[in-house]
Amino acid sequence: MNDFLQLCFAGLALGSRYALVALGFVIIYKATGVINFAQGSMVTLGAYFAYNFHRTWGLPFALAVVMAVAAGGLVGALIQRVLLRRMVGRPVFGVIMITIGLLFLLTEVMASIWGYDARDLGDPWGIDTVKVGGVVLSVKDLWGIALAGAVLLAFFVFFKFSGIGLAMRAAAFDQEAALARGISVRRVFGWSWAIAGAVAALAGISLGSGPAAVTPSLGLIALAAFPAMILGGLDSPLGAVIGGVVIGITQTLTAGYQPEYAAFLGTNFHVVMPYVVMIAILLVRPYGLLGTKEVHRL
Amino acid sequence: MTPFRKDSANPSMVRDYGEDLHIFASRQTRVVLGLFMVLAVLAPLKLSNFQSTVLDYAGIAAIGAIGLNLLTGFTGQVSLGHAFFLGTGSYTAAYLGGQRHWPFLIFLLAAAAVGALVGAVVGPFALRLRGNYLAIITVGLVFTGQHVFESWTSVTGGLNGTSVAAPPRIGPLDFSRLVVFGHRFGRDQGFLYVIWVLVALVALTSKNLVRSRTGRALQAVRDRDVAAEVIGIRLARYKVLAFVVSSSLAALAGALFGSYQQFVAPGDFGLFVSLQYIAMIVVGGVGTTFGPILGALFITAMPRLIEQFSDRIPGVASSPGASGITIFSLNQAIFGALIIAFLVLEPRGIAALWLRVKAYFRAWPLSY
Amino acid sequence: MSRSIHLRTAGSGRRRTSTLAVAVTTLLTVGLPASTLFAATAPKVGAACTKVNATSKDKSGKAVVCKTKSGKKVWQAATTTASTVAATTATAAPTPSKGLSKTSGFDGKSIKVGVITALSGPAAVLGKPLAAGQEVFWKYYNEEKGGIAGKYPVEVVLEDNLYESNTTVQKYNKIKDNVVMLSQVMGTAPTLALLPLLKADNVVASPASQDALWVREQNLFPIIEPYQVDAINAMDYAMKSLGAKSKTICAVIQNDVYGEAGLEGLNFAADKMNFEVKAVAKYKQGDQDFTGQVNDLRKAGCQIVFAGALPTEFGKILGTAAQLGFAPQWIGQSPSWVDSLLLTPLKDYLTSRVLIVAVGPEWGDPTVRSAAEYAARVKQYKPDQKPDFYFTFGYFQAQATAQLLEKAVAMGSLNRDGIVKAMNSLDKLTFGGLASDYPYGPPEDRDPSRFSTMFKVDPAAPFGLRSLQFNFTSDAARAYTFAKAK
Repeated sequence: MNDFLQLCFAGLALGSRYALVALGFVIIYKATGVINFAQGSMVTLGAYFAYNFHRTWGLPFALAVVMAVAAGGLVGALIQRVLLRRMVGRPVFGVIMITIGLLFLLTEVMASIWGYDARDLGDPWGIDTVKVGGVVLSVKDLWGIALAGAVLLAFFVFFKFSGIGLAMRAAAFDQEAALARGISVRRVFGWSWAIAGAVAALAGISLGSGPAAVTPSLGLIALAAFPAMILGGLDSPLGAVIGGVVIGITQTLTAGYQPEYAAFLGTNFHVVMPYVVMIAILLVRPYGLLGTKEVHRL
Repeated sequence: MTPFRKDSANPSMVRDYGEDLHIFASRQTRVVLGLFMVLAVLAPLKLSNFQSTVLDYAGIAAIGAIGLNLLTGFTGQVSLGHAFFLGTGSYTAAYLGGQRHWPFLIFLLAAAAVGALVGAVVGPFALRLRGNYLAIITVGLVFTGQHVFESWTSVTGGLNGTSVAAPPRIGPLDFSRLVVFGHRFGRDQGFLYVIWVLVALVALTSKNLVRSRTGRALQAVRDRDVAAEVIGIRLARYKVLAFVVSSSLAALAGALFGSYQQFVAPGDFGLFVSLQYIAMIVVGGVGTTFGPILGALFITAMPRLIEQFSDRIPGVASSPGASGITIFSLNQAIFGALIIAFLVLEPRGIAALWLRVKAYFRAWPLSY
Repeated sequence: MSRSIHLRTAGSGRRRTSTLAVAVTTLLTVGLPASTLFAATAPKVGAACTKVNATSKDKSGKAVVCKTKSGKKVWQAATTTASTVAATTATAAPTPSKGLSKTSGFDGKSIKVGVITALSGPAAVLGKPLAAGQEVFWKYYNEEKGGIAGKYPVEVVLEDNLYESNTTVQKYNKIKDNVVMLSQVMGTAPTLALLPLLKADNVVASPASQDALWVREQNLFPIIEPYQVDAINAMDYAMKSLGAKSKTICAVIQNDVYGEAGLEGLNFAADKMNFEVKAVAKYKQGDQDFTGQVNDLRKAGCQIVFAGALPTEFGKILGTAAQLGFAPQWIGQSPSWVDSLLLTPLKDYLTSRVLIVAVGPEWGDPTVRSAAEYAARVKQYKPDQKPDFYFTFGYFQAQATAQLLEKAVAMGSLNRDGIVKAMNSLDKLTFGGLASDYPYGPPEDRDPSRFSTMFKVDPAAPFGLRSLQFNFTSDAARAYTFAKAK
């Protein structure tokens, strides 16, 4: 039983990181209808920002986190401003391709600046743990879970009560109608990219905490967050978090039990488990668990 | 009655729909193509190993890209799962050609058939899922596919990969050590014939398919699938057909890839490869026949050329200890930058650039 | 990444002016002869002294005129900035010696060898020092000995394989006609992938990995004891010094041939020493979460865990273990270690819980013969090199390659058959006492060293490793026999 709980906790911790990454996807998709393939490299960039501010410049960790989030947001806004503004009105496919281009460009820029060695973020949690019953909980995982919860709450409040949040919802619902009501869709796009960048930085810090965890391949986890995002439905923040947690727990449980009980599926089946779950769910519910069903019009 | 010949020498003036459907727009085009073919036959006599290797990989990629273009460019189904179909073909070749010693043409056909079969299984997903959801689920396909490649050790050699001892032997001719009139072709040069003849055949087939009734149906699906369905096009049939054709071409390319490289590993069929293929059709020009070939040439040749001339590029690390960007990083970064540049500046790709240049000179010297 | 590492020679000042763009157009127009593409990077030293030593260099970097034995006036190329350049082509023989005909990779003046290693990607942490080791050795050998046979300087053609099998094959196909042999191929899986091609082309390659499969292969040129031997010796050490007899023994490995090599040794030891390997956890390179694997080991009650991993993943595995409060005795196969792990909060855990089994002495150990000489050489040719055993491995490889090439030149042929022949008539490989001699000969006569060194993690030691027991062997390791790769 302890093993099971231990794996579930690990899954929750992993899932909360997926959720943070997926939230970044969702906010951009919700506002602009684009799947941002560069989200993963924005995540890595956030981790390196924090590393740079904290370890290289010697700023306190908390300040480094705040600055990394700000810098992440800035990068997001910059990408939108410089590249994607020109693409307004062009097919969505083209914008997605641009984000793929960005994925390659950013990844290599980071590898060239910080190299391939695994860096240590130097977070204050280190390898501290607390024991609850027979289950060992690591402090950094607890922080990671709390962070995902806090960001989800912030999203909820933001969309519900802030002016720009309302504008975003309007733009997502019907771009032309929003424009007609005097909402600046460009501003909405800019904001959504900035927020996605900031959330990505948070995800990066959450992923990069722990011993020597900051590497250029950190952002690859974004590929595993695809299923999380799809599972919940592309445009639902709550769905992203639920999807993340479901995928996280499924994955760690698979890693824990599949080698013993279903060895015929091959070693490391847990790596593909998220995709298997995703394919299965999409076949039953083509728009995910909480996604908006698309209406076909002629 | 008509004073004009049907087959006009002037390709810029298309007078009726039948003419628009001509496979080669004009006599001029045919002459150019003919000259090009003569050149292509003679080229391997003069090409170096390096140049041949570049063109070999480019040709293989062109076949795969033509396939993807039929699916994504003409039918509008964005698939990031192309690498999986390539892998299917490669491992079919490794198993049937390498382990079972089937003849070259037979295992190529078998690979294409296996690819078509897998495409027919995956195709129906496209009926249920659209747009972004389809794109992402095909990402899932790549990952699950890689897991299969890593786990099915008896056929694939697992993570370690497998060597592919499947020489391009057609009857008495072994193109990997071709001797014609006493001239001994290198392996890379010999392969050029096999690969580019197949590129020509595939391009021709694709062009023919696109201008047929089926092709028009596919494009109707792309432009608005609900509308297409309303006017009586059976969506199920054409979406699955597009997947079948595209994946069988990918598998064909994969089989050639295995035979040429003599070794394949799951790493050859990662998501990056899918993205590269998407980039090929985007850079080349989506929805044209010539575009994917140009795109394949461009995307596969570029990194090799950069590698070859890396010592002239400033800021590149020249020894393992030196600082600077590695060639690999530089290549990836340039790849990314190019995709961005094309989409922002010329979304219709190289093919459109070419048409523009042509248009400019057509009206020369009065071009504006 | 293709480049002959070379000195900026006086001759290479005449660089071809063709730019990338020109080259592209030329390529597209078809018919550019291979030589213009390939030769562009090769330095053009017309002729030079037959024998150079470090003192004959002009510090200003200008060419030095000197005379050959025949009295002909020739140009001697000299370094400009020794720190930025690698292996040198400082000298070339005016005429090839009798009977030594030109062949791929040998133009009668200098010898080209290939190095295919990971310079990008997660494995670059290992690949860069591996290549740097070669770089330093060849620099030393060319400058102080004048190259092979005192007259053929060695140039390195460096390629980046990303530690991927497929990329390795592509890079091999690219350079095979341009080198006499490969003096380094990084990675167990990449080497296995290359093997059929090496056999078909009869090219010799020195693997920068220590799998036992390499020993009996005609086309491979292994230099150090295999991982299997290391694993067996490590278990012998564990039995004698860690009380492993009464402990639960497990393993965590990367799920490819590299990981399996260590596991094979472990299983062999289990058989000979009568213990059971209770659990084996496997991971895939690039995995992000190791809770499942570590939990498996913990559940099995493992007290000693053998790890066949690479540093990035090893760090994550240890981090996960530390956070789960799981603290067995870890014994890592040599490529698992990199000293930057000590910069993490894991420092204490590493110091108390991790041992590494590898080859050779502690860096700069004064008690070991020629270690000081080695250290001085490194200091001279690459002053900023940090202690690192991947670097040492690369250096050893180049050292072995030099012995092979000397033999081949002495036997009168540098072509592919000639090198194979030379390898089969090599008596032994020596490393100046830094590693055990390796009796050579035809593959069936090769008798790899059965010696290993146990290290403990010590932040104060160079490369973070303090030797516990230097160059020891065991009965089980002596009993281990070698088979061919399938």
